[in-house]
Amino acid sequence: MLNTKIKRVLPGFNLDVELSLEHELMVILGPSGAGKTMTLQCIAGLTKPSEGYIELGGKVLFDSATGINLPPQKRRVGFVFQNYALFPHMTINENIAYSIRHLPKPEKLDKVSWLLDMMNIGALSGRYPRQLSAGQQQRVAIARALAPDPEVLLFDEPFSALDSQLRERLELELLELQRAYNGSMLLVTHDLAEGYKLGTRVAIYHAGRIAQCDTRQNVFSSPADRTVARLTGVRNLMNGEISRVEPSCVFVQIPAWGLELKALSPSGKELSIGHLVTVGIRPEYVQITHAGNAENVVKSSVLQAVEGITNITYRFKMDSDQQEQHLLNASCPKTNDAMLQDGEPCNLYLPPEHLIVIPETTTTAEM
Amino acid sequence: MNTSLWTPIWISIKTVCTATVITFFLGIAAAHWMSRYKGKLKAVIDGIFILPMVMPPTVVGYWLLTFFGINGLGGKFFALFNYKLVFTWQATVVAAVIMSFPLMYMTAKGAFEQVEPNLQSAARTLGAGEWRIFWTVTLPLAWPGVAAATVLALARTLGEFGTTLMLAGNIRTKTTTIPVDIYFSIISGDNHRAQVLALVVMGFSFVALALVGFWKNRSNRTKGLMTTDG
Repeated sequence: MLNTKIKRVLPGFNLDVELSLEHELMVILGPSGAGKTMTLQCIAGLTKPSEGYIELGGKVLFDSATGINLPPQKRRVGFVFQNYALFPHMTINENIAYSIRHLPKPEKLDKVSWLLDMMNIGALSGRYPRQLSAGQQQRVAIARALAPDPEVLLFDEPFSALDSQLRERLELELLELQRAYNGSMLLVTHDLAEGYKLGTRVAIYHAGRIAQCDTRQNVFSSPADRTVARLTGVRNLMNGEISRVEPSCVFVQIPAWGLELKALSPSGKELSIGHLVTVGIRPEYVQITHAGNAENVVKSSVLQAVEGITNITYRFKMDSDQQEQHLLNASCPKTNDAMLQDGEPCNLYLPPEHLIVIPETTTTAEM
Repeated sequence: MNTSLWTPIWISIKTVCTATVITFFLGIAAAHWMSRYKGKLKAVIDGIFILPMVMPPTVVGYWLLTFFGINGLGGKFFALFNYKLVFTWQATVVAAVIMSFPLMYMTAKGAFEQVEPNLQSAARTLGAGEWRIFWTVTLPLAWPGVAAATVLALARTLGEFGTTLMLAGNIRTKTTTIPVDIYFSIISGDNHRAQVLALVVMGFSFVALALVGFWKNRSNRTKGLMTTDG
């Protein structure tokens, strides 16, 4: 469907990515300044890559080797901008019909009303964008982008300006649209939860490169390296060394804490004793336990506790970690038990099935 | 001897209309081009376009006279076609265009730069060519500013004196515009004539200012509404 290999060299920033997209919704996830939006602009033809090729549905849009560079007008790429970029001086009807003025009138009217119906904005057709709410504006922007039957639809942080309730509703609508629309979608976001919810596959961007591109399950449960782990929300990352290997699990010695943790063997990665690894666990998986000296139970005390709506965010200091080298972040659901106070001792259980073991490679820089 | 009061008024009307139309198109063409131009010479070209505004009109007139005179480059070029620009009615138009161009250019450029670049990008992804984008997106959105620019340029052409006098002179039946006529009426002691012509120009300027205010207001209102998304 869409095949791209883009290099763009700018002072102080290099974009160098390779993406290939089928009939699916792929999410580009990464911090701001990682080159996410620039990738979309290169695909749409709004920015010219320094090198590479872009191919969409068998048609070459850009190829630096042969000098092909189709203008955005000829690319059949739909673009939904971050602020929607609706034409403020045109009605909703006129906005949607902007790209299909060459069609015969009855056909044009049919198409516009079909799009209005599909996006549930039929009642707004005569209004101006400024009279619409942000959610309605987004629907118009999507309808307008769909009007010329693009082969791929690009979304640049479409939900970043919305409040959380509206965001959730529109995320669901987008998933429905994906099912109805027989094309590819590429969506840029910096929001982890949103990226996971929407993307069948996720590409993690870091400093102009793709750190990992895989199904969302793989990206989030077995990150390729420490950077991906950090970018996908694994906030606790410790250096370790494999101390024992068993058929389905490994034991990792954590020097900073002076203890050993049991973890499931990462699939597809051969580990042997002495192998340096990074061990990670999401704050949500850390459990407070009353058990004493059991496997993967560590003794610690509360350094800081912050109460949220449904969760309590803790920072724990390990008893064995006198220098406070590595604090442990935890996010625990509220229970009937009293919230732990600062300085209070407690035992933490780090479930082996939720420990992420990433073998250190020579190329991975120390964080 | 003095001509009818209507002679300078008629000459001024012709000059103002012709010059404003020329300035309008030259100005928005230059402004649109420069609002997108990102090259190294941006500051230099910008400076050249604005130069007539910061120079004394008589100095601009002096250089135009030198250029279009018999020994100037422009004058020699026109001589090839057996044409002489200096001291003709066309010279009043040239002077007015040169002096009103910077106002038109600067104000229109500001208006074009205010147009959200994403709107033009959106139009591009929707298949619109640059020409269509200009007429359907850029110009309509910049219109309040462009209209204000046109009125300012028009007022400037009406008031043009120094450069016109240098290049077109004071030929009663051909080149004497209202401001030039006022000056020579005072010199020759015809206060009444000067007063009437001055009132005509003032009335006109008031109308122009009111129009600018009206358009500015409207443009601010549209912008205010645009940022409030429901």
